[in-house]
Amino acid sequence: MNPTVTKLKSAVIGTGKISEEHLRFLSSCPLVSLEGVCDLSPSLAQYATRRFGAKHWFTDHQKMLAEVKPDVVHILTPATSHVKLATDCLNAGTHVIVEKPIAMNRAEFAQLWELAQSKHRVLIEDHNYRYNEPIQQIQSLVQSGRLGEIREVEVRMNLAIRAEGGRYMDRSLPNPAHQYPCGVIHEFITHLCYLTLAFMPDKIDTIKCAWRKHGTDDVFKYDDLDALVIAGPVHGRIRYASDTAPDCFIVSVHGDKGSVSTDLFLPHLRLNVARAGGKQLSPLVNHWCNGWELIRSSMGNFRNKVMQKSPYEGLQTFMHMAYTAIAQGTPLPVTFNDMDQTILLIDSLLDEANRI
Amino acid sequence: MKLFITGATGFVGRFVVRSALDRGHSVRAMARNGNDLSKYAWANHANVELSRVDLRSRRGLVDALVGVDAVIHLAAAKSGDIYAQFAGTVVATENLLWAMSEAKLKRLVHCSTFSVYDYTRAKAGSVLTEETPIEIDGFDRDEYAQTKLVQERLVRQFGDAGNEVTILRPGVIWGTDNWFTARIGMSAGERRWVKFGGSQILPLTYVENCAEALVLAAEKSEAIGQTLNVIDDEMPSVRQYCRRVPPRLSPVPKTHYVPYWFMRAFAGSVAGFNRIFLNNHAKVPGIFATAKLVARCKPLRYSNARIKQVLGWTPRYDFEKSLARSVA
Repeated sequence: MNPTVTKLKSAVIGTGKISEEHLRFLSSCPLVSLEGVCDLSPSLAQYATRRFGAKHWFTDHQKMLAEVKPDVVHILTPATSHVKLATDCLNAGTHVIVEKPIAMNRAEFAQLWELAQSKHRVLIEDHNYRYNEPIQQIQSLVQSGRLGEIREVEVRMNLAIRAEGGRYMDRSLPNPAHQYPCGVIHEFITHLCYLTLAFMPDKIDTIKCAWRKHGTDDVFKYDDLDALVIAGPVHGRIRYASDTAPDCFIVSVHGDKGSVSTDLFLPHLRLNVARAGGKQLSPLVNHWCNGWELIRSSMGNFRNKVMQKSPYEGLQTFMHMAYTAIAQGTPLPVTFNDMDQTILLIDSLLDEANRI
Repeated sequence: MKLFITGATGFVGRFVVRSALDRGHSVRAMARNGNDLSKYAWANHANVELSRVDLRSRRGLVDALVGVDAVIHLAAAKSGDIYAQFAGTVVATENLLWAMSEAKLKRLVHCSTFSVYDYTRAKAGSVLTEETPIEIDGFDRDEYAQTKLVQERLVRQFGDAGNEVTILRPGVIWGTDNWFTARIGMSAGERRWVKFGGSQILPLTYVENCAEALVLAAEKSEAIGQTLNVIDDEMPSVRQYCRRVPPRLSPVPKTHYVPYWFMRAFAGSVAGFNRIFLNNHAKVPGIFATAKLVARCKPLRYSNARIKQVLGWTPRYDFEKSLARSVA
């Protein structure tokens, strides 16, 4: 980096679990000076400040905006507070990076976007999984035409979060996510939607879905989601379940020449395409190649676990691209259209709730 | 006295409630919604009131302290990631101290832990006392130690602001269902214990003895402003503990031995490899991380002279009686 380039002054609001990934990036990125950390809990704010080497800590975001005057603010609080905090930051003249979901519905997002445009500031929602290595590899395969014309996309997330004692089954102090429009699924649905849309044509023709609740508890609003999204010749399937194990986050893309799938929680790539050996031997060659890939990935995943490279690896790439874009004017990693189509799809899925 | 006891349904809390009742106090026992209290003999005692509040939220906390003379603060999270433990230990304490200030309640007995001490600086074989330095941030220690450090700092600030605070630091609290301690080494389920060394002393305090010390601390004005280690008179070595306790358990765990010096050397090699070749990016299990290993197993000696002097406390049950009561 050119030493004469001024670093962007960054600040963070919210120091929950996801903040660890943001702060790790901010404390090591040469484009950034980590100026402030804000949380309602002074102890949490101080802990994050000391651990990640921030310069100041606050419990009042308005005070932080006034005193630090950051260039970029990361909003990492519970989702219902995103619009209010992002509005305050934009009005203070900062660029804003917001954790998903950026807003609770499309109308709120539209207002926020309009404000960002009027202030000539960047407003960007974290779509980190798009920048995980396996997703980037799948996109390369799609773009290269090796899979042919895309026909099916499936994004499936299974999280065994209904277990007693877990953070989402706390009856004494229910997780705020249970109050979101999709219940706890709203915590994850943005990921499912933007990954589905990443491999589908722009215009969605048909959406059908089932939101179901199986448990008798009064904590979860929905336990699972099964959605069908059709755009031209491409069928998209979005599936989420809170009561199945083990956890997985599978993305599969099928074309008329081949298919590929990955599990982002245990990254590997399973690729079935025409191979050398022709139609007769391709299934066998695919089998061998995928077996080798599984062995290679299992060793790589062990190394990643030791080296603390988590499924959030895409977040580092996403943020590096976002900061480069803000500093140097290169394209942002997530566009207005990406965010708008994602939140439109979430709204549409909710409109379909309980019609099946 | 009327005592507000946080964490009343925990391993220590249920004995603290009983000890307080035995000593003639009335108790407002804090329990989260959903906790089944029917298994506690004291749940229907005439001098026990239940307070269904959750310290992670400020809702109802000030009201819960009305009419209370002193708080015995035991609530802490022992499992989960750093954020879950921060919520259950540190944010909970922030909220409690805020509520005490609002309710103008000054008297607090806080249950800290031996985990706050800086074991890397303590010399092997030396006596660990209340003056032994504690960690600063403890970033190389486990989540429990880190959050208990921040919690104790908050309580100390509360005391510095003119409140009446006593901090008790129990050693290893043991008793029914709490037989294995990380100071022995490591366990593989209920059936296998691995001792890292055998001659090091275990700073044990039997749960009923510890509970009585906590209640005594609330009673005694001499305890205000004091920090006191809580350990029993009889402190067996790891070898002695493993000889006497496992045969009384069901299933009987098998014990295995690895020399402590070997574990230290191995942990040192892992740390060196991590520093030289992996830029300290690798996360290694606690038993291979030097700061965590020495916090568990460094051979030290311990003293309970100060708590005996300040509180006049004598552990009611010796080791054998404690064991008999625990397995009964």
